[in-house]
Amino acid sequence: MSWTRRYGALIRNAWLIDLQYRASIVLWMLWGVTEPTIALGIWWAIAGDGRIGGYARADFARYFFAVMLVNQLTIAWDSWYLDRWIREGELNFRLARPLHPAHEAVADNIAYKARTASVILVVWLIAAAAWPAVRLPLAPGRWAVTAVAVLLAAAMRFFISFTTGLLAFWTTRATAIMELHAGVSLFLAGRIAPLSLLPPAVAGVAGVLWFRYMLAFPVELLTGAVYGSDAVLRGLAGQIVWLGVWIAAYRVVWTRGIRKYGAVGG
Amino acid sequence: MAPVVTAERLTKTFRVKVRDPGMKGAVQALVRPRNRDVQAVRDVTFAIEPGEIVAFLGPNGAGKTTTLKMLTGLLYPTSGRAEVAGFTPWTGGPECKRRLALVLGNRQQLVWDLPPEETFLLNRAIYDIGEAEYRERLAELVGLLELTEVLEKPVRQLSLGERMKCELAASLLHRPPLLFLDEPTLGLDVTAQEAIRRFLIQYRDRHGATVLLTSHYMQDVTALASRVLMINRGRLLYDGALGALVARITRMKRIELVLGGGDGGRVDAETLAAFGEVKSFRFPNAVLEVPRDEAPATSARILAALPVADLSIEDPPIEEVIRRAFAQGLEEEGT
Amino acid sequence: MNPMRMLAAFWRLNLAEELQYRANFVASVLGTVFYMATALLTLALFFRHTTALGGWDYWEIVVLLGVFNALTGVIEAVLRPGIGQLAGEVRSGELDLVLVKPVDPQAFVSFRRLDIWRFADVVLGLALAAYALHRLHRVPSLAQVATFGLTLAAAAVVVYAIWVALMSLAFWFVSVENIAVLFDAVYEGARYPVSAYPGALRFLFVYLIPIAWTTTIPASALTGRLRPGSALLAAVVAGVVFALARVLWRTALKRYTGASG
Repeated sequence: MSWTRRYGALIRNAWLIDLQYRASIVLWMLWGVTEPTIALGIWWAIAGDGRIGGYARADFARYFFAVMLVNQLTIAWDSWYLDRWIREGELNFRLARPLHPAHEAVADNIAYKARTASVILVVWLIAAAAWPAVRLPLAPGRWAVTAVAVLLAAAMRFFISFTTGLLAFWTTRATAIMELHAGVSLFLAGRIAPLSLLPPAVAGVAGVLWFRYMLAFPVELLTGAVYGSDAVLRGLAGQIVWLGVWIAAYRVVWTRGIRKYGAVGG
Repeated sequence: MAPVVTAERLTKTFRVKVRDPGMKGAVQALVRPRNRDVQAVRDVTFAIEPGEIVAFLGPNGAGKTTTLKMLTGLLYPTSGRAEVAGFTPWTGGPECKRRLALVLGNRQQLVWDLPPEETFLLNRAIYDIGEAEYRERLAELVGLLELTEVLEKPVRQLSLGERMKCELAASLLHRPPLLFLDEPTLGLDVTAQEAIRRFLIQYRDRHGATVLLTSHYMQDVTALASRVLMINRGRLLYDGALGALVARITRMKRIELVLGGGDGGRVDAETLAAFGEVKSFRFPNAVLEVPRDEAPATSARILAALPVADLSIEDPPIEEVIRRAFAQGLEEEGT
Repeated sequence: MNPMRMLAAFWRLNLAEELQYRANFVASVLGTVFYMATALLTLALFFRHTTALGGWDYWEIVVLLGVFNALTGVIEAVLRPGIGQLAGEVRSGELDLVLVKPVDPQAFVSFRRLDIWRFADVVLGLALAAYALHRLHRVPSLAQVATFGLTLAAAAVVVYAIWVALMSLAFWFVSVENIAVLFDAVYEGARYPVSAYPGALRFLFVYLIPIAWTTTIPASALTGRLRPGSALLAAVVAGVVFALARVLWRTALKRYTGASG
């Protein structure tokens, strides 16, 4: 009960702050949209009138539209915030409050994603009205499963970003590590191409590690590239396992980080 | 009454990188970085009773903020113990945090782009404050701090003084029995400083809160603190009333003269120097410093020997006393 | 005060500051190498499924990536730390501190800071282009190298002009402090030859936001694709874009001083 009130207040605050920065947020979004657009442009040219690995032009269009949406719904900027909190001493008053700072970050994510994803959704709906290639079949069951997968992916990416940001307790390069992770995920999470177009060994690595589960899997669910209860359940299981691993990593890093912070200060 | 804050042999050691200034130093640090252990706080022991307002005195880097951070649980001591409102601050968790407020003069919790009221509402939720209590406390704080006008303006449009008042209000909504203030009047103009001081005293009187503060402004200390803790290079040099500190540090008094008479021009610095140390002399005003216990006798001699229009005996200005204390080191002179 | 002496003083301060962070150089180079590797792998991924992109083969596009990287170095070393800070300064009012200095504000704002480590990107980028040329078994003639130099300079001017234009817009859209992101978003498109894009994107990159001129043209000069006339055209485009940006900047500044004074 007090938690609903706390979260209500936190989300409200985050929402109001974002409102002040709505123009900036549109620019960040635009930036997030460029990468899949350019990738789509290139694959569009390569595919021509044929198919590549089962993907025709329309399939690529659907795939990258889904990447835009799912990426916006799951992306987490928390490592940048934490890096700043730790470096600028803004963590101090947050630690002096009887509320774990992670809750503020979670609330911030909810507010931010509600805003940006709804914009992308509107853009998609407009595009779909004009361009049949990016229309999705009406399949409520698939959308429901996708929603679960997106939630799991968002949670996992939050813990990845938050945990990496905590490395700022030890190094000034926490955000650089995050960018390194982003660079790898360009391929392994399916941002630049569907995983099935990668060399099989690389795609295999993506499926063994957490990368596929942070983006490609929910995207494939949405476009229908993954189907059948067996494949879907295996994907969800992979998400849950890796989410668990990252939560464990977060707990270890947080405990040690706070101990370190208490020892040397901000 | 049992003390609400105790510190026992609190000690904090940091390891810092050192480097010489300039290009040479930069290159040197590049090739061979050097580390040095700095004892920010050493063996500090004190106890504070509920309702006291206590000020930490000391130059920059003396260890004031480090002590404050240990007492609020942000830093763990290298050794020693502390108890704050019945908790060890760095292990006390949420229950301990509910009982204290920390205000940093150079860092703010107010959300920059939103009106202060939004931060208040956030803190209401974070500290689990009931609706009725919230309204009552907000009304009280708004009244005491005169915030009616500023509640709905974005923080970025507020003056520094208004911001600090809102910062205080945000920190006191959960009515903590303990208030830690680090340079609460930093950079504020005189009126705003006075308003903050007035408020702190009123707040303490109403709710019996205990206040620990650091400040560079001696006016803060003289107006607020019944007691001072003087720290230099991490050591607690003095713990007690400010007046007693002044008496202990300086055995001197000041005699301020206004010379009069038509032939007053004949009085020169040399003549004055015979009575005591001349601190300043610009005819017709002169300031002499003499040992405390000789002050009455010397005054009598001056009145007899010189054409004096006015004479008064004062303590030296407090800033100067404190500066001198830190320059000389208290131990040598005090004991 | 002599503007060059003033800038030199700033750069000296800069250098001392940067030297403090010894890890920065290593980190910067590692970052660039990683970034280049990512770009090459992306390209390799595309070429698993095709033999040419917009009529360019693999190593030709690698030449282009080298040029892209060299220009990125200039952007990161000079533009972003200098003029790129302007949007924030307009917002915070710090710009006033710049305007009271007795120098041309555009020149000062543009060149006041150098992140020297990032110049390594220029070297690495050109090295990559040279290696790709070697793989193509092509040794550019002296004339081609000269054309490359001219078009690369023109490219730098175009990029600079885009930054000036964007930062001038910051005077109107004060709340958009991350306006530089707009550049990053569009500049992503310069990683591939402009001929690889579908019609709409191509039109955008050539005419509306002229980033096609920044990488495609200098890379074409090195690989011998460029007609001599195009080099001159590139220089003309650079001149025009620069002039437009300067006008925009002046208008913006006039508006700012008018509004605040």
